Amino acid sequence: METSIKERLKEIVGPENYTDDLIDLIAYSKDATEHKHRPEAAVWPLDVNQVSKILMLANEKLFPVVPRGAGTSLAGLPVPERGGLILDMARMDKILNISIEDRLAVVQPGVVYQDLERALAPDDFCFPPDPASGAVCTLGGNVATNAGGIKGAKYGTTKDYVLALEVVLPDGRILHTGSQCMKTSSGYDLTKLFVGSEGTLGVITEITLKINPRPPLVTTSMATFDDLEDAGRAISEIMYSGILPSALEIVDQQSLKAINQNTDMNLPEVEALLVAETDGYTQEEVEFQMAKITKIFKKNNAATVRRAENEEEAAALWTARKTAYGVTARINNTLFVEDLAVPMSKVPDILRTISDLAKKYDLKIPTVGHAGDGNIHPVISFDGTSRSEVERVEKATKDLFEKVIELGGTLTGEHGIGLAKAPFMRMEHDDVAMDVMLSMKRLFDPNNILNPGKMGLEL
Amino acid sequence: MDVQYEFANKFRDQILRCSSCGFCRAICPLFGLTKRPALNARGKMLVLKEVMDGSIDLNDELVETLFQCTTCAGCAELCPSGVNVPDIIKQVRKDMVFLDSCHPVFKGMNKLLQEHTNIYGEDEPEDFERERNTPAEYVFFIGCVGSYREDEPTMATLDLLDHFRVDYTLIDEVCCSGVLEDVGYEINKNLAQKNIDLILATGAKTVITGCPFCSRTFNNKTQYDRLKQEKIKIIHISQLLKDFDPGVKTDKLVTYHDPCDLGRHCGIYEEPREIIRKIAPNFVEMRHNRANALCCGAGGGVRGAFAKNSIGMARRRLEEVEEIQAEVLLTECNSCLHNLDNAKLRAQKFKIYTTSQFINQLIESDR
Repeated sequence: METSIKERLKEIVGPENYTDDLIDLIAYSKDATEHKHRPEAAVWPLDVNQVSKILMLANEKLFPVVPRGAGTSLAGLPVPERGGLILDMARMDKILNISIEDRLAVVQPGVVYQDLERALAPDDFCFPPDPASGAVCTLGGNVATNAGGIKGAKYGTTKDYVLALEVVLPDGRILHTGSQCMKTSSGYDLTKLFVGSEGTLGVITEITLKINPRPPLVTTSMATFDDLEDAGRAISEIMYSGILPSALEIVDQQSLKAINQNTDMNLPEVEALLVAETDGYTQEEVEFQMAKITKIFKKNNAATVRRAENEEEAAALWTARKTAYGVTARINNTLFVEDLAVPMSKVPDILRTISDLAKKYDLKIPTVGHAGDGNIHPVISFDGTSRSEVERVEKATKDLFEKVIELGGTLTGEHGIGLAKAPFMRMEHDDVAMDVMLSMKRLFDPNNILNPGKMGLEL
Repeated sequence: MDVQYEFANKFRDQILRCSSCGFCRAICPLFGLTKRPALNARGKMLVLKEVMDGSIDLNDELVETLFQCTTCAGCAELCPSGVNVPDIIKQVRKDMVFLDSCHPVFKGMNKLLQEHTNIYGEDEPEDFERERNTPAEYVFFIGCVGSYREDEPTMATLDLLDHFRVDYTLIDEVCCSGVLEDVGYEINKNLAQKNIDLILATGAKTVITGCPFCSRTFNNKTQYDRLKQEKIKIIHISQLLKDFDPGVKTDKLVTYHDPCDLGRHCGIYEEPREIIRKIAPNFVEMRHNRANALCCGAGGGVRGAFAKNSIGMARRRLEEVEEIQAEVLLTECNSCLHNLDNAKLRAQKFKIYTTSQFINQLIESDR
């Protein structure tokens, strides 16, 4: 990057919001994947006008611009693969308005998920998606990846809550999409276009989110299954039984073994462990739902079924699910948290596939997932310094996604495509779909300055 | 490139284990203040990975991040991969000092403790109107901040010990010099020897420290092993106070700041709360408390070397006091007290004390 460009960037954001120090370039070279490339500079814009000026400059001088939230991406979304400029949105972190009357919150993109939750709590409202990285991830990042979490089956993902956006287009124009209304049929849905666009079409500078009342009561139960197919049938039956659990999570045998090897929790090493949660406003309501679930567990040969009587017991039932990531992260030096989704009835098939691939390629692939919406996370922990092990992981991943697509699934339920899945895009999307996506990219960003190289959208 | 740094020999596996998940952003006081990813644990581990694979050298360009860490261990507490960042940072600093890449303030601190007996280079110690170096059941070891910067809380603590009729003596203490281990150097053996000799000469079986960091140093550093061999017990004042009933109460809304050195580093969370609950029925926790407490920003040499950010971190901690509208903020560390007090704005009406200082004040106003 030319010195004159750097000087201009400093003028736009002020010297205290500009850096090209080595330590910053290294910090911005990675997310939570193994993809890695340093940018040439980074800025912390403070308002929409600064973002607009930066993008105009980028379009004139043709350097890549990569917007970045908390960098917790598990698919390489914010890794500046072609250098250029990082646009760290962390200092645009104001909650601009919370209107309980209108059921919405207006926020800047750098607001941390948990900070919004805290601000909504006194009114018993919430922003439901609940991503696992909620303590650190930013709402701008949530929108750009269409993030989800354990509440997906009942409450959906980020896309179900974005009402309106302010977006700076690559040519510097400021676009306002959507409205502050709960519903609108007005024009093309430009809002949805930017949700999950991974920073390839524009830079989100303001977000209007629909917020939900938070049901005050929850109940939790856990069931173990000696046979994976029984667990799979239980999942399907629960989801068409007429009730919607607020969470329905699965932990597989390899995860349980890994947890037992690394802790003194002594979990039963069954083929599948399911945790279900129901929520509501009255005790009768949550009990009614949970009674249905436990009945289905038993009908499908659950080896054990446990109901939590209080908060501590509920926390205990959640331990296996919540410990899995930390335990897996400690098994070896490199971690791939994979992400896929299949139609719910196919959950047992995909879990069998993962287990078979682990055997075939001699890998450890403990798997957990949001069974209630068919979103599964195989977590591959391996020695990233061993060339042969890396190759086996790559082969297993490719085999896995071929099977996912064969089962009618999708490459990603909530982490996005980024760099990690870019090579697989055409597995899922046919020529027409890819052509339309490329046309959209060309329309918004003809010079390909915004987050180039992501989503397999080469112009 | 072959590994040539001691930090890589000792911690290579842990550093590689950092999966760059970024969860450390949630607690790192420096990141919270600056929003600069290069300064939090993930940024530091990424830098060290590049040093280990030979992409960059360990040199002055890295001082700003590797020497700017309060070693509060908040990140280590949260880390899913179990990476102990403070231990790694302390070793990296030693490697950097060896290469003569060091923050000048830390270099100065080491030099100061070669020439003086305390971190402030003060030649005239406070006498606190107490006897020194006399036979007693306990030695009360004040620490540098309590001796030279926060003498009022220290005087109040001594008055409280008198009130409880604790049989203690002060000694002609010198800096425990544990701080040098945090900033790339090693404990000054002469200073350690002087403290050991003075403690043993009193015949005391227990040392009570006013400073949790001194307590950690005496308990954990090999240079003080002699105390262990002589079966001298080292406790922090909060561990002693919990067994007393002050017999006074306040109706004020009181909260408590866990010092990193007492909480995360020693696991002492309940003792301070036990005594506070006796005197303050209106006790309320801040948003971040116990193992998840937010650092005051003073530790790891940051107050000396990066003063502006140190005060900024303390301000963020004080915002949490305002959030719960507490009238009194108590803590158990003179260094935290010093930094928080310096950061307090005039508009913030709450008061900040050490627990023993506050109890003593209640007792005195009760008289």
